[in-house]
Amino acid sequence: MVIINKKQLAKIYPMWLGLPAGLVYTVFFIVPIVTALFYSFTDWNMDRFDSPKFVGMANIVNLFQDEIFLRSLWNTVLFAFSTTILKTAAGLLLALLVVKKFRGNSIFRTLFYLPCVLSCMIVGLLFTGILKQDGLINNFLTAIGQADLARDWLGSYGTAMLWIIIIEVWMWAGFTMFLFISGLQAISREYYESAEIDGASSWKKFTKITLPLLAPSFTVVITFNITGGLKVFDLVYSLTGGGPGFDTQVLSTYTYRAFGMGLLGKSSASALILSVFIVGVTFLLNKFLRSREVDV
Amino acid sequence: MKITRKKAGTVITVLILLVISSVYIVPILMMVLGSFKTQGEALHMDLTLPSSLQIENYQHVIETGGILRGYTNSLIITVSAVAIIIISGSMTGIIISRRGDRKGRGLYYYFVFGLTATMQIVTTYALILKLNLYGTYISVIFVLAAINLPFAVITFSSYVKGIPREIDEAAIMDGCNCFQLIFRVLLPIMKPITITNLIIAAIGIWNNFQVPLYLMSSSARTTIPMMIFNFYGLYSRDWNYVFAALVITVLPVVILYLCLQKYIVEGMTSGAVKG
Repeated sequence: MVIINKKQLAKIYPMWLGLPAGLVYTVFFIVPIVTALFYSFTDWNMDRFDSPKFVGMANIVNLFQDEIFLRSLWNTVLFAFSTTILKTAAGLLLALLVVKKFRGNSIFRTLFYLPCVLSCMIVGLLFTGILKQDGLINNFLTAIGQADLARDWLGSYGTAMLWIIIIEVWMWAGFTMFLFISGLQAISREYYESAEIDGASSWKKFTKITLPLLAPSFTVVITFNITGGLKVFDLVYSLTGGGPGFDTQVLSTYTYRAFGMGLLGKSSASALILSVFIVGVTFLLNKFLRSREVDV
Repeated sequence: MKITRKKAGTVITVLILLVISSVYIVPILMMVLGSFKTQGEALHMDLTLPSSLQIENYQHVIETGGILRGYTNSLIITVSAVAIIIISGSMTGIIISRRGDRKGRGLYYYFVFGLTATMQIVTTYALILKLNLYGTYISVIFVLAAINLPFAVITFSSYVKGIPREIDEAAIMDGCNCFQLIFRVLLPIMKPITITNLIIAAIGIWNNFQVPLYLMSSSARTTIPMMIFNFYGLYSRDWNYVFAALVITVLPVVILYLCLQKYIVEGMTSGAVKG
């Protein structure tokens, strides 16, 4: 066949074909990141939109002295880690249940995955109806004679965060389930057959064969869920708006709050801290999880 | 003996699954039932049947809620952004993978950076304001396209690596120019990855709330999640209307999901694996 030389290469695949994507990506993604690196160190605000003054580390120092910010940081970490653990556990359980061959298992798969295609806004409103003072849960509790357990779930300290975590898990457990299903289907039947010949119990088979061989799936599931969890915004915004008080404030809603008050420099700094945090966590997690994968 | 044990196991599995299913069905059932109730009935959240079917709820929502308007907006934004992502993303992916020289690799790593970095919404807002694009379709379209481009470019380029170069050479011999080569020869071969990217981008953009919130909050051009949120702000005591609005919003998505389930699930999960 024809051997393509450099000159021909440049003619058949000219660089300018990459221009449209490169331009859109540069202007609307890279430029904001670069400018955020600068503006995070200024007193930029709505009143002085065009003439921000350089203030050095002041924004970042201020943020780490701000109790609400620290609270948001803690809530973000709490949310990301607890939802990841719960989604992993729930997803694995669902995967193990529906991976078995029986008629109708695809109906369950379809149902469990359904929330993943919905907007967080819709899920948020739906659960507001379930959790509010005269919502479904409280009506149910009253009906079974436990009226004193009823409360304003999203308006009470403590329970609001708990419910946001539960709803997030409800939404995405089906997604994790599918990640595990493909992992489970990749495990060769032969391992189980030889284990059966050796008389291994089901539990032994699960811990000695299934779990170790699922390690790559765990890597994907955990990394994906942690980064998604750290970025959480929609669900918190639609369910509580960060309240009651600042009980469920996370970094993204904190950023929006500072933005709403016109404190653009502070808001950028807060968003930047979140980004750095995400990159760091992803890097460490990947290093740790990859090292635990076994070669077969 | 062995068969009956296996059967018992299946029965237990199905029973457990049915219990879990109720957690998914109850909210949906509450929404659908509530959308047909009167205001008083709907305010008392439960799973009882409505005393009479209040079809007017839907009529009211369609007439006043701006939900249809939201649909049009979401459709305009999603279709345009997805078109930008697929067309420009595939062109870039192809040249990156086919050139294989330093310029190509440089471009590749430039886009890889976008996979790890998170978008900076505040400075994006300032940029849009400076460009005089606040509240326009274009702002949201370009920003959402930019967020999704890195993933599309990377996956397109790694897919093209698997396509034999001989196909390109044959096409060039037959006198194709670079556009014909990309859009008539390569893109049809790249159908699986194109569908994956199409689905990931479309669902992500359709459901995105944060970008329209910052860039066009209450404008008439805003998308359906934002419309629903504003609608709830106006009608938070009229749950019959809220539920009807939710049903109208959810129904097309659910129907689409049921029809294209195989592609959607495969696309979204492979997106997580590669991302």
